[in-house]
Amino acid sequence: MPSEVSERVAEPMLVEDWERLTFRVNREAYRSPELFARERVDIWLRTWLYLGHETEIPEVNDFKVRTIAGRPLIFCRDADGEVRAWLNSCPHRGTVLCRETEGSQKRFQCFYHAWTFNNDGTVAAIPDNGAYEDIEALQSSMMLRSVPRLETHEGYVFISFNPDVPPLLEHLGDAADYMTMIEQQHASGVTTLPGVQLYSVRGNWKLAVENAMDGYHFSPTHNTFVGYLRESGFAVTDDDQYAYNLGNGHSLLVLTGHGGRISMVWEPRFGEAEKVRTEEHLAEMRERLGEKRAHYVADESHILFVFPNLLLFDIEGLSIRQLEPVAPGHTDVRAWQLVPREEHEESRALRMKTVVSFVGPGGLATPDDIEAYEAVQRGIEATRGAGELDYSDMSRGMRDEVKGVQGRSIDEGAMRGFWRHWERAVGGGLEVSGERPERFLEGRELA
Amino acid sequence: MTQADVRGAIEVAGRVVTRGEVEDFLYAEADILDAWDYDAWFELFEEGARYEIPTTDYRGWSLHAGGSFVDDDYDLIKARVKRLKSRKAHAENPHSRTHRLVSNVRLFAGEEEGTLRIRASFVVHRARDGQFDQYVGWYEHVVVPTEAGLRYRLRRSILGHESLPVGARLSFIL
Ligand code: FES
Ligand SMILES: [Fe+2]
Repeated sequence: MPSEVSERVAEPMLVEDWERLTFRVNREAYRSPELFARERVDIWLRTWLYLGHETEIPEVNDFKVRTIAGRPLIFCRDADGEVRAWLNSCPHRGTVLCRETEGSQKRFQCFYHAWTFNNDGTVAAIPDNGAYEDIEALQSSMMLRSVPRLETHEGYVFISFNPDVPPLLEHLGDAADYMTMIEQQHASGVTTLPGVQLYSVRGNWKLAVENAMDGYHFSPTHNTFVGYLRESGFAVTDDDQYAYNLGNGHSLLVLTGHGGRISMVWEPRFGEAEKVRTEEHLAEMRERLGEKRAHYVADESHILFVFPNLLLFDIEGLSIRQLEPVAPGHTDVRAWQLVPREEHEESRALRMKTVVSFVGPGGLATPDDIEAYEAVQRGIEATRGAGELDYSDMSRGMRDEVKGVQGRSIDEGAMRGFWRHWERAVGGGLEVSGERPERFLEGRELA
Repeated sequence: MTQADVRGAIEVAGRVVTRGEVEDFLYAEADILDAWDYDAWFELFEEGARYEIPTTDYRGWSLHAGGSFVDDDYDLIKARVKRLKSRKAHAENPHSRTHRLVSNVRLFAGEEEGTLRIRASFVVHRARDGQFDQYVGWYEHVVVPTEAGLRYRLRRSILGHESLPVGARLSFIL
């Protein structure tokens, strides 16, 4: 891993040429400590970040400890049922306040000098407080430090370290409705489960984003998984699979014929009993949501990226993946399974098995994704400092963009949208030549 | 009998299984895996067997009720073996070099009639791509004595880690 301070970052970061139909990304973006530091400030401390799901802390006093944007946090539900995010740091001298990873408690006591805080942030006790001149003033100034902003959409809790960030729904834009679709999949709603996949990859966080939005790699990289699907009676195709930029850096893959989804799209490997349950569920959904909405919710697989740290995989089953950049070449990943609150026991077992067979560092597919972007991280060292050569190509599908044809999932249009948004945030230069078409940035009509 | 006696032997379905026999079984498996002989490894499972790796936050739930790293039924074990033997298993091409240590082996009566529960500790060292990492944890296996020797009904590896460290992955058999 490059640990030396890299050579000055050569500009521009993005080169977009509409005559030659090429789009190139400066590889410094994946490895420069300087850019990583800029991202921290201009992205991670500026916009909304996914913190966790409400169902992770269902009861009052439940808490989870989690690091977001490098900052240790306590994600909890206070004694009144309010969802909170506290900086996990004692206001006295800064000690990490809660050293458990999860649990249930009304108060957090710092072990250093035993200051104690209620989970609504107020000071419960400062031992030996006679030594202070104005204990009341001290106590109110020593409340737990909250993250400046916290908002929730469909159970997904977002925080921002920027007090002036626009409202969450404004940031989510078109992505919000795809999150709603997940909630609507089941009359009982969805909930997260324990069994969280915690792992780290030797790759830049943006490579993980690219990989999720990259249908082009599916057949070659996941050859062995595609083979397994085929043998279990399901042939994967590239037909009718599209990629969309949803604005604000968010993007979406819409996949059909990509693989089954428990309780939505049946496959032979799920078995006959599940086929019956799936049909019943689909009928219930059409009843509840109407024909059209049910079609969008049920018939397509979605991979949704919510800029900058949330990926929702509505394939196989439902997975939430959260990205936490640690260093330019080091990303922590946390992945939860989302399930219907109420589900037939056999469907649940099948769902867990099916999801895990694909996703996660022990699955039959994700390890190859990780291998791919770790290999990118190692390989791009080869062109370090090589000017023109030190760029990655993401031109695939630009020809269709010029013609006004909707980008496919096996193109790189969603990645280009992500990179343009990234460049607007951190700068570094976008060089455009030729005539940019009108159409390429638009979202998706669900009418 | 619910616990191995002092000499480390246990009676299962009218037959005495010794700790030595169980240790030999685990050591032989370690050699098979380190030698990347997945056909021989697959032979160690009875039909219908399972292979499981819970996540690092595991607190004893059924893997059907929560997420996990590996939740393989027999067909998936078969698919996993087939995958690992393929040159297209990119995460293991080239193969990781592994070295396994198994110890603290203990025998218990299985919950199901005719089965035996094995608890043991493992350390797996893995080298690949200039990286060297370690995986430590416990085996909680369920095996059945057969004519041909012990066979897995459940092969479960429980990690002792808080999370998988950077670069680590479970693309080989743990
Ligand atoms: S630092 Fe927490 S009580 Fe002193
Ligand atoms: Fe992939």
